[in-house]
Amino acid sequence: MKWIWIFALAACGNEVDAQWQLDHDRVIAVRSTPPRIASGETAALTGLVGQKGGPPVELDATTAEVVSPSALAGALTRQGTQWTVTAPPGDQLAAARAELGLAGDAPVPLQLQLTYTDHAFVAFKTVYLGVHADNPVIAPITINGGDGLATADLVVPAETNVPLAIDVPEIDNVNWLSSCGTMHDFDIARAYLRVEPDDPHAGDFALVVRDTQGGVFWHVWTIHTP
Amino acid sequence: MLGRAVFCVTVAAAASPARAQPAPPEPAPAVDDSALLDASHEQIEIHDQAPLPAAGAAQLDREEIQRLPGTGGDVVRTLTAMPGVLNQQVPQGYSGVVIRGASPQDSKVLVDDFEIPLLFHPLGIRAVVPVEAIQSLTFIPGGFDVAYGRASSGIVQLTTRAGSDQRSEQAELSVIDGGVIAQGALGPDTHYMVAVRRSVLDLVLPSVIPSSVDLSLTTVPQYWDQQLRIDHELGPHWHLAVSTIGTDDVLELFTTKDTDAGAKRFFSQTRFLRATAAASYHDGPWQAQLALSAIASELRFDVGLFQKLDVITPAVTPRATVSRTVAAWAGLKNLVWSAGAEAQVSYADIDLATPLEKREGEPLPPYSPNDTSTRFTGHVWYPDFAAWSSIAADLDPRIRTTLGVRVDGFARGGELALEPRGEIQVKLTDQLSSRLTAGGYRRPPEFQSELLQASLQSERADQLTFGLEYTPIGGVRLQGTVYYTDRSALITHNADDTLGNRGRGSSKGAELLTMIYGGPWFAWLGYSYSRSERMDTPDGATRLFDYDQTHSLNLALSWKLGKWTLGGRFELYSGLPFTPAVGSQFDSDRNLFLPLYGAINSERAPIHHQLDLRVDYAWRWGGTDLLAFIDVQNVYLDRSVVTYFYTYDYSQRTAFESIPLIPSLGLRATL
Repeated sequence: MKWIWIFALAACGNEVDAQWQLDHDRVIAVRSTPPRIASGETAALTGLVGQKGGPPVELDATTAEVVSPSALAGALTRQGTQWTVTAPPGDQLAAARAELGLAGDAPVPLQLQLTYTDHAFVAFKTVYLGVHADNPVIAPITINGGDGLATADLVVPAETNVPLAIDVPEIDNVNWLSSCGTMHDFDIARAYLRVEPDDPHAGDFALVVRDTQGGVFWHVWTIHTP
Repeated sequence: MLGRAVFCVTVAAAASPARAQPAPPEPAPAVDDSALLDASHEQIEIHDQAPLPAAGAAQLDREEIQRLPGTGGDVVRTLTAMPGVLNQQVPQGYSGVVIRGASPQDSKVLVDDFEIPLLFHPLGIRAVVPVEAIQSLTFIPGGFDVAYGRASSGIVQLTTRAGSDQRSEQAELSVIDGGVIAQGALGPDTHYMVAVRRSVLDLVLPSVIPSSVDLSLTTVPQYWDQQLRIDHELGPHWHLAVSTIGTDDVLELFTTKDTDAGAKRFFSQTRFLRATAAASYHDGPWQAQLALSAIASELRFDVGLFQKLDVITPAVTPRATVSRTVAAWAGLKNLVWSAGAEAQVSYADIDLATPLEKREGEPLPPYSPNDTSTRFTGHVWYPDFAAWSSIAADLDPRIRTTLGVRVDGFARGGELALEPRGEIQVKLTDQLSSRLTAGGYRRPPEFQSELLQASLQSERADQLTFGLEYTPIGGVRLQGTVYYTDRSALITHNADDTLGNRGRGSSKGAELLTMIYGGPWFAWLGYSYSRSERMDTPDGATRLFDYDQTHSLNLALSWKLGKWTLGGRFELYSGLPFTPAVGSQFDSDRNLFLPLYGAINSERAPIHHQLDLRVDYAWRWGGTDLLAFIDVQNVYLDRSVVTYFYTYDYSQRTAFESIPLIPSLGLRATL
């Protein structure tokens, strides 16, 4: 525990990218639309990938494969560059439940491994088969007291705490990401952004929310100070 | 003053040779510590070097601890000067003491012969026992005798301070904490010592944390410590001692300015109270002690919304020991027979929801606030029983041998462990002696989540130690020790995340300790070389222990003249091994990067060195003795890397550097 505490005090000012830093090469999230599908339904897979020196981009995976259960490997197909999952019939799902030791009506987790940007990044994503659920819709998104969804280009004052807020269950995973300014409380629903004099004054801004059903929401803006 | 001890000698009859024995009982007689006296029923104090309990052991009294520079007069920092103890600026392991490269839980910290669960406060800057409340510190890195058990590495033994005939009250205030201690006599046969200490750091800390840091200290780290000891002479043969030691640490913080954000809350509380009553008896060749000790401890922490741990552990330990000395028998001389038995009946009330526990050698998993893969609510009984006996005798005027056996019963695992131990001491010259010690040791499976699995067996260690001790003149002692410890049945994670006794390992090394105490000078030179390796599965790769520290050098010098005491300590030690991350894979569902690690403990942090200085100034003001001190660690600001922390996606790492300067200022007043 002591290291956690000391590190918490000492970590500020380190020359490494914080988790909220959008100006960083990595996979930010993988979204399945929808995240849970009934037999016969199809879900499309999309990645949100951050880039150093550029805005985050939505990408299709370079490769994808089923990790588990292997008997459902055929559920994953590629249509053009887009990877999709189609939920198999009920008897195949029942067999998969038996293999995984799941209850008779439980959704079957189809675990996928995907690579992005020519295999540079590896990501895992689970699509649930057997029941239907949609991705969350986050609205409103309040940024500096206004409706964040009303604009694609955010203008925020410098050297001022810019409040950010959404209304989601506390258990949901929230990430506010920015390549402009410094994020505070980036991983909770009520956060704030502050652009210090030494911070970048322009860049990109994103919100990613994961719910407990495997659903993912994201929204990306450009951002700058006046 | 070097390792000074007071020996109480009681003479029963003129014709019966009396043997000098340390008080309190449980002596470790050396070849030359006996005396023939012809007085009758008279108690005599002999001031001499204490016989050390094992090869490589060291003993410091209160004054020596306070003079050792760079320790801030603190027990935990003092221990880092001992060869064989892991030296770091911040204490490591749950108890704060890591000995001979083993795991922290392999060693025990005893206060007045009974275990305490931890020795330091979570911030790592203070021991739970102030030096003013202890009489002596004995460090036994290995090879301890059959009276000690439940440890497979070493023992740290603190003896609390008994009140003296002269009453005094003392107050001390530093930037870290403040305390008062009172001691004296309540009559001709009763003495007391009582001490209370509270942190003041919590009053200082909020003002030094920059407002820009996303941190709310809702309960600033604070602690209370208390010690009480009452000694009463019941007559010429019986001595009663009642003591308590306790501590209470609490901390609550939010890693945000928003104190309603439960997801960013961290709460920690560690507290224990141990009470002990002991009756000691001595009459001629007989000595005995009956003791009853009880402890109640609680470890609690909450992290975020879902992770929690609350373990309440009461335990009761009755113990009885007896020893008898015989001047000569069957051609042997100076025989000492000892025997004892104890039961430690412990109960743990556990409520936990945590990630899978990190075991020795396992790299830190990524932090997942929702991970509660280990859940348990219930209680566990784990009574342990032990009995032991040993006999020591001079085979020759220069050769003394000790043979003993300890039997431990660990009832939860249904295990009976037999631990034979023996030692041969040879006095090569009047100044030079050697000791060869061999023995078996066990550490019961009672550390953290080991309690949740009844099938676990104890960890085993077979220790072999050879030491030389050279005392050319009074006040000078040189010790050299080599050791080898074979470790087996080490508890590791199985592939299914359960625990098993599948690990093996070994520790080997050499230690050197020189102490010089003469006139105004006190000098200390300690060096240790160590290598500790293990395999976590029978066919696994050999790797270093987490706390393997190859080199550790401590050189300290203190000079006292009049009102001034000046001291310096130079430390140089190897960094600790760590496991490098070589990449990661992203788990989008949990928003976690899963690290890909290289070989376990395949890299090592660089060597650290530092100079510590201490200045004490004592004076008298009215009827009050005052002492002001400043103790500064790392005065030339060496900032070597202690370890590395990886970023959330393991693509970058940042060095956690040694603390550049650790000042300790204080003022002590004694009435």
